Amino acid sequence: MNHFKLAVIAFRNLKRNSRRTIITVLVSSAGFAAIAIVGGYMEFTFFGLQEMTVCRGFTSSGGTGHIQIIRKDSVQKEEQYPLEYGIADYDKVQKSITGYDSNIKATIPRIEFTGLISNGEKSTSFLGMGVIPEKELMLMSYWDQIYKNLKNHSSQEMIYRKLALASPNAVLLGEGMAKALHAEEGSSLMLMGTTVDGAVNVVDVTVAGVINNSIKTVDKYYLVTSIETAQNLMQTDKVSKILLVLGNTKQTDGVLSVVSSKINSSGNNSEYSVIPWYKLAEYYHSVKDAYRIIFGFTGIIVVLIVFLSAANTMLMSTMERVREIGTLKAMGVSNRWISMMFLYEGFFIGLMSIAVGLMLKELFTFAINNANFEMPPPPGMSSTYFLKIYSGSHFLPWISLLLLLSTTCSGFLTLFKIRKLSIVNSLTHV
Amino acid sequence: MNESVVAKLTDVSKYYGNGEGRIAALDNISFNVKKGDFIVLAGLSGSGKSTLLHLLGCIDKPDKGQIIIDGQDTTMMNLEQLAPVRMEKIGFVFQSFNLVPVLTAYENVELPLLFKGLDRKKIKNRVNEILDELGLQERKGHFPGEMSGGQQQRVAIARALVTSPAIVLADEPTANLDSKTGADIVNLLVELNEKKNITVVLASHDSVVLDRIKNIVTIKDGKII
Repeated sequence: MNHFKLAVIAFRNLKRNSRRTIITVLVSSAGFAAIAIVGGYMEFTFFGLQEMTVCRGFTSSGGTGHIQIIRKDSVQKEEQYPLEYGIADYDKVQKSITGYDSNIKATIPRIEFTGLISNGEKSTSFLGMGVIPEKELMLMSYWDQIYKNLKNHSSQEMIYRKLALASPNAVLLGEGMAKALHAEEGSSLMLMGTTVDGAVNVVDVTVAGVINNSIKTVDKYYLVTSIETAQNLMQTDKVSKILLVLGNTKQTDGVLSVVSSKINSSGNNSEYSVIPWYKLAEYYHSVKDAYRIIFGFTGIIVVLIVFLSAANTMLMSTMERVREIGTLKAMGVSNRWISMMFLYEGFFIGLMSIAVGLMLKELFTFAINNANFEMPPPPGMSSTYFLKIYSGSHFLPWISLLLLLSTTCSGFLTLFKIRKLSIVNSLTHV
Repeated sequence: MNESVVAKLTDVSKYYGNGEGRIAALDNISFNVKKGDFIVLAGLSGSGKSTLLHLLGCIDKPDKGQIIIDGQDTTMMNLEQLAPVRMEKIGFVFQSFNLVPVLTAYENVELPLLFKGLDRKKIKNRVNEILDELGLQERKGHFPGEMSGGQQQRVAIARALVTSPAIVLADEPTANLDSKTGADIVNLLVELNEKKNITVVLASHDSVVLDRIKNIVTIKDGKII
């Protein structure tokens, strides 16, 4: 049998029952558009989480940058004293790394440290980060370039500018910590910590501002100060890590392999580990996994609805064409070939649904993206954001395939009906 | 088996219902159809003539007896296995024409050949040949809904003949036609039988048919009388 002819018969049958075909296509395409829009929202969320991880982070350690360089020992061994396995000659390391790849836009040294902070009356523990504010601003300007939807993103940049302009012994406090210590801009506090020699050291600091870490629980313990203040407290000239900021997050793997090979082939530098952002992004991966499960479940439900709708159309079509099916069987056409005709009908419904679904998806995406819906902060975070739907191009081929399979397979159901049909009875069916 | 016998039924019975309510639609019928025969199965409604036609056409199975079509014993085959037998050896003409409504006259006639898997050129030649013979060339682009009952039945006959079957079975082919068109259709079948030696078995109780055809097999209560 000529498949083209079967396809023609199938297409003409769909045309003959145009009202039913249109309803089925509308149901299927609405399902397609719904999944595609959810896919686009997921893509937007994943992108936002990815860039948020790189620029701001979800822990007291701040943004991960695109790549981090640390001493291998700091991962493999337990430190006996703070920064035992820190990077000592970090200026030299930074300079050499910058030349490795033109996609490296900035290198940012950081110190992570802990201790107690006191206002004289009350003390509380802190998770501190020693930074070079001007360099951290580079990470934020990267954030500005790629992600303009976070509603209150600029406030953090302003605070970091204050830190850059303040005296060397200035600190930024997390909102929760400032509240606990009744501290405000200009308040004097004491930082207590352990030096690299194991002694206790105290540094007087002034509050330069209150910072919002996005995650409320972290705000209670969060503190940022200059790298000099942190080094002064710990009596060291080392840093914990060096962050690399690239032109684009997509360049991470390319630059990673270049930096990994060069940094460990330059003699004395074989002691470094080069870690991409996604290996430090536990929160990002857990949210992504959760979204995938939710999306998959929603997708299954929608596909089921599409399948049932298409199956209903196919079975109705079979019922209405009992005599035609009986005639074909009487002519010696096998059940398989007759079912094939219905498979083609399902296939065409799928194709039409994809085309209409794509149009619906574009229409709704345009409307949503231009409506600037303000979304509430995600769980545990304090920043609102504007809802955006991305193209969802990663998901579209899969959604299309799923829809096409679902509508085509609904045609397959007719085989059971066709097989059961008595030729004699169907020839006289009215 | 005599080569001129196209269909041979031996002690064929067909029952409907179960137990005491069982009715014999056909009761031990033995019956031969020879090459070139034009046989009319006559009888009242419910006499069993359509059942006999269905068994001859391999679209139903007997409960007892043996049916041989063009030398092939169909007794042990199920209806799906009989599909190739129907495709190769049998042509059907139905009371309600049973054309595929979304296909043109040409496409309806072409359909059995497409399922047989012939090449396009052979199909085209054969379809045009049969449409010429039946005077349907001018109607070949029309859909069934655009044709009269007589024209639709001609297309149905063309579809039945296009595969050059061993036997053409027609079930009340004139019942849905007015008497003049019915007579035309019967004349066409007779003409094809006489000129092309096509074997025809026709079930009818229409006087137009019974007056025209001499070879009548009358069935009553499932038996040939």
